[in-house]
Amino acid sequence: MTPVPRAVVEVRDLRRTYRTSTGVFRRRSVEIEAVRGVSFEIGEGELFGLLGPNGAGKTTTIKMLITLLIPTSGTARVLGLDVVKDSREVRKRIGYVFGGERGLYERLSALDNLRYFAELYAVPPREQKPRIEALLELVGLKGREKERVEGYSRGMRQRLHIARGILHDPPVVFLDEPTIGVDPVGARELRATIASLAEAGKTVLLTTHYMFEADSLCDRIAVINKGEIVAEGTPRDLKSIVADKTVVEIETFGIAEETIEKLRNAPGVASISIEERDQAQVLLVQSAKGLELTQTLLAMLEGTTVGRVAAREPTLEDAYVALVDTAA
Amino acid sequence: MTGARIFFVGGLMSYRALFGWLSPWIFIPTFLVAPIFQILLFVYIGRSAGVESDKFYVIGNALQYCAIPCIFAMSNTIAGERYQKTLGYILATPAGRLPLFLGRSLPVIGNGVFASAFALSAGGAIVGIHVPASSIASIALVIVVTSASCTSLGLVSAALGLRVRETATLNNIVFGLLLVFCGVNVPLSELPGWMSFIAQGFPLTHGIEAARRLANGQSFGSVGGLIGAEALIGAAYALLGYQLLRLLEWQGRRLATLETA
Amino acid sequence: MSAVRLLAIGWVLHFKMLSRSSFNSVLGVVYPLFFATVAFFLFREGSPHALLYASLGASVMGIWSATSTAAGGALQRERWHGTLELLVAAPAHFSLVMLPVTLAMSTIGIYSMAATLLWGRLVFGISLHIAHPLLFCLAVPVTIVSIGMCGFLLAVSFVRYRTAWALGNLLEYPVWLICGFLVPLSLFPGWVRPISWLLAPTWGMRAIREAAIGGSALPDIGMCAGLGAAYTLIGVLVVGRLLHSARARATLSLT
Repeated sequence: MTPVPRAVVEVRDLRRTYRTSTGVFRRRSVEIEAVRGVSFEIGEGELFGLLGPNGAGKTTTIKMLITLLIPTSGTARVLGLDVVKDSREVRKRIGYVFGGERGLYERLSALDNLRYFAELYAVPPREQKPRIEALLELVGLKGREKERVEGYSRGMRQRLHIARGILHDPPVVFLDEPTIGVDPVGARELRATIASLAEAGKTVLLTTHYMFEADSLCDRIAVINKGEIVAEGTPRDLKSIVADKTVVEIETFGIAEETIEKLRNAPGVASISIEERDQAQVLLVQSAKGLELTQTLLAMLEGTTVGRVAAREPTLEDAYVALVDTAA
Repeated sequence: MTGARIFFVGGLMSYRALFGWLSPWIFIPTFLVAPIFQILLFVYIGRSAGVESDKFYVIGNALQYCAIPCIFAMSNTIAGERYQKTLGYILATPAGRLPLFLGRSLPVIGNGVFASAFALSAGGAIVGIHVPASSIASIALVIVVTSASCTSLGLVSAALGLRVRETATLNNIVFGLLLVFCGVNVPLSELPGWMSFIAQGFPLTHGIEAARRLANGQSFGSVGGLIGAEALIGAAYALLGYQLLRLLEWQGRRLATLETA
Repeated sequence: MSAVRLLAIGWVLHFKMLSRSSFNSVLGVVYPLFFATVAFFLFREGSPHALLYASLGASVMGIWSATSTAAGGALQRERWHGTLELLVAAPAHFSLVMLPVTLAMSTIGIYSMAATLLWGRLVFGISLHIAHPLLFCLAVPVTIVSIGMCGFLLAVSFVRYRTAWALGNLLEYPVWLICGFLVPLSLFPGWVRPISWLLAPTWGMRAIREAAIGGSALPDIGMCAGLGAAYTLIGVLVVGRLLHSARARATLSLT
């Protein structure tokens, strides 16, 4: 009998609630359900994206997987190991990188930061030096490794984070919004590094709220909103959700809230989102393909200053908006 | 006292400090328990070395402890704003600087008076010293004057906060200097001449001396000069602090150092 | 073996960080000198022997200060840096991660110790003849390590209190007072002595004095080391429960 190929990450009906208390004198306890029954699987060598708006539950999910949070209920396994019962074994086999500037020892050099974590991950002493060398090379910090981290730019810190996360050559890597706050050029370099992890055969879970990032990097994507997975599939699958739709972009200036509501309820309109661009608010109106809505919409916008109007094919971003919007 | 040392470290604390003092988790250890231990420490060191009386150390350390709230909290009125990045907004207002900062000093003086008075009564009771009932009102006045003069010194430190970031380190050093110079534990007559000379210019020195004499039964009239000197020194530091505040604010605007957290 | 390496490297790197902070290094050295100065003035009237007693006692005060004021907030500090989660997520046992941090804190105290002895020598002319140099060289590191272990216990017990730094500071004076740094234990009421005996600094102080002035330091060194080991053991037991609760209550990343 041949063993059934197992998923590297298996998540079953994972839930997590937070209890917070407010008030100084009369403390009230409030329960917040951050993750409400999430299930998914990631196969070996897959680059899996968890996509969702801020506060959707991405980070909470990842923190349960990397053993920092105990789930309220449900199970999660990494390489067949339970994240609560076998947490130490899980920790040995995973790498974890989060975005942002924190999480580094400012007063130490990059080299010392890496040496410290190499010890924490029990990288054999003989392998440490060449490994650190290679990683500094990979993330482009060679030559600056002896400087203290306090003088590093955002992008350099983020690359150092990645090097730290894969020091012990883990088969599974969790990346929590790794490109957040990094400038466009830096972010592109980071994405190249992430792609190279997948090429090296690692299983990667990436969370992001940048659509193009998920589109260009991920083999499969799960969209999470308000603690629940609302769609899952390849970027192509997700785009097909809106394949039968068309998008009208209308540039407006100083549009009133009621007008937007009126448009949202107009017959034929599937969803509406608004993007602020300089002084303009760009309405992205999704509707069924073949339905010629532009004139109707413009008629309803009487009294509002309207700029450029264009109809186009839907993108992954539109699919995402449709998903997050319906769930709202 | 060291409570205060770490109190302002790392910026984070200075951020919370303005309001954070009132948390019982900070207030009780820092203002109620620590001064008692400082008193006990020196009472026992004194017994061990076999020098001054218990009363000497109780009064000296109880009065000196007002320097913790007075200097640290006062200097924090600027350091804290700076950390919260609100200093620029405050200084951009047309509000007069004198009421702005002197107004902030009143609760600070109150805090200092409370700390010293509590330390004196609780510490005195634990160690078992006797103070004539007739002196209590005048000692209370000495505590108020001394707290005010220490707060004036705090205003100087606050003004320096417009220029330097490490006021926490500075304040700790000031606290240590007061401990050594002002006759808190070592009588001025035992200090080298140059030290007792400098001590005349510090707040605390005259206040502590006045409180000790009152506690030994001397009349209020006989220490009037000392109390006056303490008040005068306080006023001088207040004036210095105020002028320094204006000067450094002006320089800060000229050299653009106000916003550099 | 790898545990020893981890302890050593953690200690070196955290020591490096502490030495680079002006607050920990400069103030940590200067601050205890004020107290030492007061003590020297007070003991000056006694015999030269009394001054040597004070000088040795004051020198150990700085080691305790460096530890007590920093250890209570050690975990909180890792939280602010955003490194606590990374340390917990690493497979190494958390005790092996935290112990070097507090050991580095007590080691920083050696600067204060040296400065105090030097200050006593230069300003007050207190000459330091060490009767048993070898025992002295053993007593000092054992005291530092035991105080660091005590710091470890403080660090893990105080983790739930956000104002742990205030509680940590609070412990500075009492230990100075009752561990025999400047006041012989015989001066205290009887009920204080058992408390002093449970504190490793008491034995470390005795060991350092006996080694310097002459006496049998070895039993004291043994007591000091034994208490340090006991603190560590309790800390290790506490740590596991603590981390589990932090993961259940989601308090690892709070600042």
